Amino acid sequence: MIKRNLRYFILILLASVFSSCFQIIEEINVAANGSGTVNLTVNLSASKTKVASIMLLDSVNGYKVPSKQKIQKEMDEVVAYLRNSPGISNVKKTVDLENYIASVSFAFKNISNINNVNQNVLKKMKIKAVSNSSYTFSPETNTFQRSYAHTKEALLEYNKLKPEVKNVFKEASYTSIYRFEKPVSSSSNPLAKISKTKKAVMLNTGMMGLINGKTNISNKIILSK
Amino acid sequence: MNYFFKSAITGAFLLGTLSVNAQDLVRKIPADAMAVATIKGNNFLELMSVEEFNSTFFGKEMFKKLKEEQNKSNYASVEDFGFNLASSFYYYNQTNDSVSYNCFLAPVKNAAQLDKLFGESGKKIITNGKQRTFFNADSTKIARWDDEMFLMVLADGRSAYFDRPEIRQRFGMSVLELPQEAVSVDSTATVTDATMDVTNVEPAVEEPKQKVRSKKKSSYQSKSKKTKGKGKKTAKKSNRKKPVVRTVPVEEPMVEYATADAAADAAVAVADSAYSSVEYQDSPYYKDKIIQKSIVARWSTKILDEAFAGTNQGSILKNADFVKNTDPKAEATIWLAGVEKLANAYMPATPYFKGFNFLSGYGSANAKLYLEEKSIRISSAMTFGNEMGSVLRKIQQRKLNKTFLKYVNEDKLIGYMAYAIDTKAYLQEYPKLVSQIYGSMYADEIGMATDLFSLVIDEEAISKVVKGDVMFVFNGLSQKEVSYKSYDYNEENFETTEVMKTKKETLPDFLAMISTEDTRLLNKLITYGVKKEVVKSKNSYYELSIPKSPLALYFAIKDGIIFIGTNGTEMEQIVSNTYQAKVSGRHKTALLGNNYAAYFSPKRLAGKIPAEELGSPSKVEKANKTLNALGDIYMKSYPMNSNTFSGEISMDTPADQKNSLKYLFSVMESLK
Repeated sequence: MIKRNLRYFILILLASVFSSCFQIIEEINVAANGSGTVNLTVNLSASKTKVASIMLLDSVNGYKVPSKQKIQKEMDEVVAYLRNSPGISNVKKTVDLENYIASVSFAFKNISNINNVNQNVLKKMKIKAVSNSSYTFSPETNTFQRSYAHTKEALLEYNKLKPEVKNVFKEASYTSIYRFEKPVSSSSNPLAKISKTKKAVMLNTGMMGLINGKTNISNKIILSK
Repeated sequence: MNYFFKSAITGAFLLGTLSVNAQDLVRKIPADAMAVATIKGNNFLELMSVEEFNSTFFGKEMFKKLKEEQNKSNYASVEDFGFNLASSFYYYNQTNDSVSYNCFLAPVKNAAQLDKLFGESGKKIITNGKQRTFFNADSTKIARWDDEMFLMVLADGRSAYFDRPEIRQRFGMSVLELPQEAVSVDSTATVTDATMDVTNVEPAVEEPKQKVRSKKKSSYQSKSKKTKGKGKKTAKKSNRKKPVVRTVPVEEPMVEYATADAAADAAVAVADSAYSSVEYQDSPYYKDKIIQKSIVARWSTKILDEAFAGTNQGSILKNADFVKNTDPKAEATIWLAGVEKLANAYMPATPYFKGFNFLSGYGSANAKLYLEEKSIRISSAMTFGNEMGSVLRKIQQRKLNKTFLKYVNEDKLIGYMAYAIDTKAYLQEYPKLVSQIYGSMYADEIGMATDLFSLVIDEEAISKVVKGDVMFVFNGLSQKEVSYKSYDYNEENFETTEVMKTKKETLPDFLAMISTEDTRLLNKLITYGVKKEVVKSKNSYYELSIPKSPLALYFAIKDGIIFIGTNGTEMEQIVSNTYQAKVSGRHKTALLGNNYAAYFSPKRLAGKIPAEELGSPSKVEKANKTLNALGDIYMKSYPMNSNTFSGEISMDTPADQKNSLKYLFSVMESLK
């Protein structure tokens, strides 16, 4: 996923070392022809007072606290990169430094465009992959698939963190929402819920499960014909 | 706090169980001991009988562990270990340039029980008349006892000593790789012998290390032959060039006692069997360790021999400072001969620390534990050198501003902390303190820097702005609701909508008071703050607005005091002279009579910690239970007495408790 590899997000997360919780929300809307839109949000609002006090510091627990300008700059770089990526268009970002909410949204021609973006953003940011995740959608079979494999590296990287920073992840949550034009006939992941309209699938879980590999967010969603 | 108590008591009793006796053995402690810890068994027994201790959770746990982990047979009483619990137990440390001894000295009641205790370990016990000596696996721990006393010595050879080339040569240890300059200096000294040396030495160097070493059982002789007639210098050099040469440490006088031989034997024999790897046994490091341990074991045996024969020179009882600081009423005492001396003994032996002494001027120190009827008290004292003493006396001239007490209400507060130092004296004396620490190393640079400091700093002016007395009153915790953004998802199609949610944040509630004389600068700062809209004027006091912070901060300047607090109503009362103060005699004496005073009432904090901060309800309950069980805690420093600075921390024992020791056990039990 792009979000996990974006440095500005990570920096904000690290900046909130004392905060009790943060939210990551990933929304993907897929049209019948395989195109669609993505919206990624990181929300630190529940910890805003703590983040605000941390932002006044230069570094916390040995991690450099990014300045507001730095966060904006990093975001701009990501947007610029996305705009130049094949199949990606309509890139928008919002950074709310009052509430510490950042989000990026863009449209894609084909879901496979996200996978490329993911890997390239990752390379660009020189960040080691912490998970293997890819998306496929086949209009012929009406199957949307998210393949996710936990990598041990995620846990190794996590274990390297200081205890105070580890605490940040304990209360953090991850939400993914996939919306389709056709109703969903089956969703393979037992953690996922299907909406009343049957056109959306939501999975809400804690970050810790993703880090230690206890939670699997792979899902095979078959749409009715 | 619980950790502190647990450690203290565990330490006390482990010490007791390891090393105990009835007759006072203090006379056996050598005069040059650097640290002495005393546990008065009798004082403890007055507060709690052996039977009572055995049935505490701690006693039970100890017996259980002994049985489970150490495979010792059933013990049901601390008396079964064979020590005389009614007498004093001691720990002392003796350190010199080559070795550090940690000694446990205890009175014996029943030697047969000790035989059993140590016999069960499966290690050999050597009997010599009434004396029995126990060695652990590598003889780093040697214990000896007879019918009267028990002494265990844990010795540690100091690497700074055993790394010295001449020492390594003397004991036949391998040559360490030295920094280049050290070697070159040596080689110039022996340059004339170089050719002769090389012919002798080269073959040995080329041979594989192990081979040579294995042959060199009697290497001392062979080396002597080679070096005969070449004089000292050459001998030294040849050894240096031949890292493989080993010698049996025959230069060290052998101790004639049978047990000393046994000690050395045990060290080598056991260490041999301790490692099965042949490769490891062949390594120079391993062989050096055996040599070092056997030397240290022999020294330890000598310590034991002298202690039991009573031939050690001088007893600690000849040390006036030790005797003066021994209080028979104290349950436990720790005494340090000299903090500076102790620090120097343990300072890493590198050139970087030469001449640097951050504990310069620190003399003897002691701490005593008293378990009294109404309180548990730890008093501590430290004696300084004349120079440091005079600096401290000057700094401590200031007393706390009496007016502070007009704004303290002891019914409302949970704790306070107050201290008074003379800012002017501190700034004037500061350069002296610095030059003491860095002393000889950078004397010139420090001299210039301290002069510059005095030149730039206007001690008088600063001391008018901040006089040096401060009081911080902690009134508790309050909760404030804060709002944040979150997302809700509708059930229809999981569409996200942004919503505002609220949560409670816990904030401290406090009032701080600082004495001042010159408020001109502060007033300018306030005016500037108001202009920049960072400070809001509330008639006679001000509110400081901190962006995004739920914490409100108010301040005021009145009667030469700067007030900073979190409670607007309280600040209003302060400036309008309507504050209701209440301070009892005990607090008044503590605050006004000392340079430092602090108070904390755990009971008052109980129930005030928001559940959100602690997590689960069981944690909240446990925290409140613990806080409720603890008595009020007082800390204070006493005015300087000559060059001695002393202080005290105490906790009141709740009225329903029989005595402080039993109370301590009950607190510990509730915490487990």
